[in-house]
Amino acid sequence: MPAAARTYWLTSPCRIRRKDESLIIERDNAANVHVPVTDVRDIVACAETDLNTSVVALLNRHRINVHLLSYYGDYAGSLLTSETSTSGETVLAQARVAQDPHTSLAIARSIVDACAFNVRRVVDRKLLNRPYTVLQESIKNSTSQAHLMGAEGTFRRSAWEVIDTKLPDWLQLGGRSRRPPKNAGNAFISYVNGITYARVLTAVRLTPLHSGIAFLHGTMERQRHSLVLDLSEMFKPLMAERLLLRMAGRNQLKEHHFDRDTNQAMLSDAGRKFVVQAVRDEFAVTVAHRTLGRNVAYDELLYLDALALTRHCLEGAAYKPFRIWW
Amino acid sequence: MIGYEDVGGVHIKYLYHCRRQLWLYLRGIRPEHLNTAVQLGEAVHDTSYTRNTPVDLGAAKLDFVDGGHWVHEVKSSGRPSPADEAQGRHYCQRLHRVGIDAQGAVLHYPKTRRTQRFPYTPEAARQADEDIRDALTVARAPASPDRLARSACRGCSYTDYCWTE
Ligand code: SF4
Repeated sequence: MPAAARTYWLTSPCRIRRKDESLIIERDNAANVHVPVTDVRDIVACAETDLNTSVVALLNRHRINVHLLSYYGDYAGSLLTSETSTSGETVLAQARVAQDPHTSLAIARSIVDACAFNVRRVVDRKLLNRPYTVLQESIKNSTSQAHLMGAEGTFRRSAWEVIDTKLPDWLQLGGRSRRPPKNAGNAFISYVNGITYARVLTAVRLTPLHSGIAFLHGTMERQRHSLVLDLSEMFKPLMAERLLLRMAGRNQLKEHHFDRDTNQAMLSDAGRKFVVQAVRDEFAVTVAHRTLGRNVAYDELLYLDALALTRHCLEGAAYKPFRIWW
Repeated sequence: MIGYEDVGGVHIKYLYHCRRQLWLYLRGIRPEHLNTAVQLGEAVHDTSYTRNTPVDLGAAKLDFVDGGHWVHEVKSSGRPSPADEAQGRHYCQRLHRVGIDAQGAVLHYPKTRRTQRFPYTPEAARQADEDIRDALTVARAPASPDRLARSACRGCSYTDYCWTE
């Protein structure tokens, strides 16, 4: 997948118009931006965005998806193009794997394990050593996806507590809260998770897999892309927890980056721009890939993981969900 | 799965390059998502030989057919390969099936300014038919063909798929 450079991030309220084969992005108080449609792989709209039918027609023709993030930072939805890469035979293979309790549970187990491994890696190896060992034991004994999710929840709670010890008072989470996030820390996590979800959706749409057939989360759960929920698990800590700790540690996050009142919080306009910029830069960071023998961007890691899962469904090759290896 | 008439130039090219690639292609693993090298190929198409209009033959897409009934194909690589030749032969076969008496294929390599001619002989026609049948055999195989040796995969746009562990 080409680097994050071809993803367009809209961070201030704007209108997208069409002029021939170009998109024109209009904003108040700023010059219009012309973007040839061929330069765009997808668009992440982080602020109020208007678009019309002729824009949608052009986006559709070029297979460009638009991901919409809500004001509170939750992922709100996507404008997905009608054409997908799904292939009948691959989707059938995926469905067979998902329907087999044994193989689907094996995938779910390895996803939960990889997610916790990554959380531990970015939060604190020592302090999360015990909770992780406990989790691994529960993973082994789990007989259902629901069990696994429960065990993961327990591990996650320990992790949130450890994270709080590393954050200034005003950024502490006090446990995870969503819709709306209770405080600044939760607002941050929700927002970055929303973006990660959108990036994974783009990656999955480039593979022949069906985004609604999942292994850990319920298939077609609440009309969502459950497979995207599955694959986001391993990448959320790489982005959300890691960036929160880093940006807090470097004193980069400020109170004015959030709008807060007694029981809820969200990123302010300035905060949203700042956080989106940081996330975008992070997705472009590259690491040396061991088996491919070249550098890959974080953004590409999502796609490679979706490909590995495709290979597992189609050919039965071992699937080892993404673990931070560096 | 595809039938005799659906086999196109891309299928024949992949058949020659790597059978596994053909098998995967037919299951939705697409090179344009895997590698940017393919986009380079498209750019060459956009800029060279713009005077001629491509001929659309359903599954097969030709760059152009000249007045003497030779099929011309523009290649983005610098080096001729058996896959290119097979593709040209395949197009001639398709043309013959719709009643056009194609004389053979001319492959252009703008990068190295080389041109190669392959007359469409009865022997070539037999081979073209056999290629289509081979492609169908690969398409219908229940299991994927093995990977090639790692060194043979160099430059293949499916490397990310085949070799991510
Ligand atoms: S990477 Fe190798 S095995 Fe895979 S399709 Fe290409 S040549 Fe074949």
